[in-house]
Amino acid sequence: MTEHPLVEMIDIEKHFGGVRAVEHVSLDLWPGEVVGVLGHNGAGKSCLMRILSGAMIPNGGEIRVGGKTVEFTEPNDARAVGIETIYQTLALADHLDAPKNLFLGRELKTRFGNLDDARMHEEAREVLARLNPNFKNLRDPVSSLSGGQRQVIAIARAIYFDTKILIMDEPTAALGPSETAMVADLIRQLRAEGIGIFLVSHDMHDVFDLCDRIVVMNKGKVVGAHAIEEVSKDDVLSLIVKGELPADWSARNLEAAL
Amino acid sequence: MSDVSKPAGFYALKSLTPGAAQLHRLSALLTLVLLILGFALASPAFLSVNNSLTVLLQTSVIGLLGIGMTMVIITGGIDLSVGSVLALSGVITGMSVKAGLPVIPAMTLGVIAGGLCGAFNGFVITKLRIPPFVATLGMMLIARGIALQLTGAAPISQLGEAFGTLGNGALFRVVEMRDNGFPRVVFPGIPYPAILLLIVAIGAAYLLRRRQIGRHIYATGSNEEAARLSGVRVDTTKLYAYVMSGALAGLAGNVLMSRLVTAQPSEGVMYELDAIAAAVIGGASLSGGVGGVSGTMIGAFIIGILRNGLNMAGVSAFIQQIVIGFVVIGAVWIDQIRNRP
Repeated sequence: MTEHPLVEMIDIEKHFGGVRAVEHVSLDLWPGEVVGVLGHNGAGKSCLMRILSGAMIPNGGEIRVGGKTVEFTEPNDARAVGIETIYQTLALADHLDAPKNLFLGRELKTRFGNLDDARMHEEAREVLARLNPNFKNLRDPVSSLSGGQRQVIAIARAIYFDTKILIMDEPTAALGPSETAMVADLIRQLRAEGIGIFLVSHDMHDVFDLCDRIVVMNKGKVVGAHAIEEVSKDDVLSLIVKGELPADWSARNLEAAL
Repeated sequence: MSDVSKPAGFYALKSLTPGAAQLHRLSALLTLVLLILGFALASPAFLSVNNSLTVLLQTSVIGLLGIGMTMVIITGGIDLSVGSVLALSGVITGMSVKAGLPVIPAMTLGVIAGGLCGAFNGFVITKLRIPPFVATLGMMLIARGIALQLTGAAPISQLGEAFGTLGNGALFRVVEMRDNGFPRVVFPGIPYPAILLLIVAIGAAYLLRRRQIGRHIYATGSNEEAARLSGVRVDTTKLYAYVMSGALAGLAGNVLMSRLVTAQPSEGVMYELDAIAAAVIGGASLSGGVGGVSGTMIGAFIIGILRNGLNMAGVSAFIQQIVIGFVVIGAVWIDQIRNRP
């Protein structure tokens, strides 16, 4: 354990005109920890994650990575300090093949500054095979691949580079059962390697299966932050929907503690 | 831009596999061969060395414009200003020569002026967030207006022999003097414009296929948001494409004016349509992400040969317009079919 969290978000604010998407939110993440970020659509969780991935610039607040204050103006700034994001839309360029997508924005080059497609192809083949041994369609544009294969490319892209913090936005929403299990295994493996993960998900099963902690957002605010043992599924649903825990929660929890 | 998470977009794009793109280029090549065969049968002079060189000259202007247009179209944009920018660049070169500048610096100045027009397009599109169609339509009027204003709408002539070299000269030209004192052209040589086109085409293909900027041009047109999230500087990439298009329009302007040995402010009207047609016939998709230099070269030759062949067959200029109009619609229609599920 290091003495600093991997990342701290302190008093983050974001508003669009009069709409406050994120209000005074503070959040941290430690190495080897999976934190579930929950909330219904429009609760501000995606917005918060986009701020952390550098895709959105906050109106106020501070982000510290490894104890040092950082400022992100574009996604590359966040990637430079080891924050990788798997977007729900996957953010793949449909007409390009898997290796080109994997290295998009961070292309490998030869000594003369040309694209080193041979090396990118080889590296991509390795990392994709590690995630899915059946991945063979390296030359096809990703538009012709299945949802699972596309997800594998997005994941490969997020873990290939020196990743410390991983943001996963609904990573299993488009997947079948076996692929979901693969993603769950991968999350456990990454956690064991000391990577911190923010898991944005609607799937209660995934959340309770994988997360160490949960943070629930409602109307731009954090309405609950709990270790996963402290809460039940009903408690979490109440937080998501009503923005508060059930009335009997503290009594129940006290009982359990005793 | 198709949303990558939607199955509709997924199926629509499935037809755009490399196989489909190659098939498209192959069919364009076949069309080109059929056109050549058809025109050769209609007019025996069509296949003569001299006429072939004329085609090469005519095509080089469309080709230069088409290469720049291809880059812009791959980013998912369009550049309607190339015809006017071509005229403005030619006029600026002409005026510079008149002012006493040697030909090569003057031509460089013309190309830079074209690049600046492109940079303005790129600025308006990326910073002011104005759609490429409107932004470049504005530049179409602006550049034409400046060209006409600078010259008072009158052509600049008597530009000297050196000015005409680029457009009229040729490499490996063999001329022998006959006994009667008249020269006889043994081999007319390879026209400079054709050589220039070849160099630019190879350079552009290299940029698009082997350089990072080329990869980013494709990524931007394929899925702009994905490219941005992947760390591609989307605005810079677009700006680059529009500057290239403007500069190549400037180069094409110099070639054309040099061929005429006159700087014509009213030259190049509607050339943007030839350039767009060349790119689309060659397989570039107006929805972005697809296209290439080799395809555009085939497209440029189809347009060039179509114009020349119709001329040789004695078809009036008005009918030619009608034919080219249908060809443009047909090419875009084929593009639409390709993008349909």
